[in-house]
Amino acid sequence: MSRSKDYSSASDDALVRDAQGGDMAAFEELVARHRDKVYARAYSMMRNEEEALDLSQEAWVKSWQRIGQFHGESSFATWLTRIVINLCLDAMRRQKRLHAESVEQMSQEGGLERHLPAVQVDMLEGLERQELRERIDAGLSQLSDAHRTVLILHEFEGLEYKECAKRMGCSIGTIMSRLFYARRRLAALLVGLHQERKA
Amino acid sequence: MNEQTAWRLQAWLDGELPSDEAAEVLRLVNADREAAALVRELKLTRAWLTGNELRRVVPESREFYWSKIERELRPAVATAADPAPHSAGGWGWWRWVIPATLAAALAVFLWMPASSPTRQNAGLAPAEVENSQEDLGNITFRSDSEQMTVYWVNNL
Repeated sequence: MSRSKDYSSASDDALVRDAQGGDMAAFEELVARHRDKVYARAYSMMRNEEEALDLSQEAWVKSWQRIGQFHGESSFATWLTRIVINLCLDAMRRQKRLHAESVEQMSQEGGLERHLPAVQVDMLEGLERQELRERIDAGLSQLSDAHRTVLILHEFEGLEYKECAKRMGCSIGTIMSRLFYARRRLAALLVGLHQERKA
Repeated sequence: MNEQTAWRLQAWLDGELPSDEAAEVLRLVNADREAAALVRELKLTRAWLTGNELRRVVPESREFYWSKIERELRPAVATAADPAPHSAGGWGWWRWVIPATLAAALAVFLWMPASSPTRQNAGLAPAEVENSQEDLGNITFRSDSEQMTVYWVNNL
């Protein structure tokens, strides 16, 4: 693709092909299109603006270095998001934020949530979408890194248990336990936040 | 309800349970109010989450964000561009010839003054050749080591 070509009207596939040929202007257009998504995923996992910026930019650098390995099995955005997720998981491991709980801890943890009565999540109906999003985000912030991460991977990225376990370096049983705890805790937080607002 | 049952309910909702076990879980949900309430909560929580992730934007301008990425990419691009001369043919050859020529010229330049008769100590020189401007046909050859001087006179 020549310099004079209008990159903004080109498809992602065309830009990726050009970037694979060494066209940095095409790559810059891809960055402009998807930077918010990549940054948002990094932020949702790290909960820190500076780290999210650094990791999202590192993901772009890695994607340029590996762009020859992208063969279109998924969309470019999905491929890129997987890169930033892996970088965030590595960073969390380095910071020991994804510490492995013992079986006893997990059992106690899941056990407590298991005995809680089911909450009336449907009372959130009628909330404006933006408000609901803000509450969900506030709830996610209150979860531990491990619980929030499994929710992000499963609910937002649509990864199966097996894939979540592989990426997080734990067993499928641990994923099931963490997911169960995270969902129940988030439901309780959402309802709690809702009741606080009403009161 | 034990832990395993709760997880199986969740796995059933997530479509992660084999079909034969799924039928069993469905029977449990229909028969057990506690199980039904838990399934409802999990299902609604999942529904609320779907498509409701808060959207965030990069807190930097497009140009500034890109400039930091570009700074990391530039050395890689320069390295990637290096193989080009191999395919360009002629330029790859000249890339080596030019410095070699310059080195040879420098060597000649350094050697020339040292061998010039005007700057050389006559006592150390093995031999000298003089050719006077007045008479280009006459040549003088003098060797200190041989204690000998030869005059060549051209009568033409």
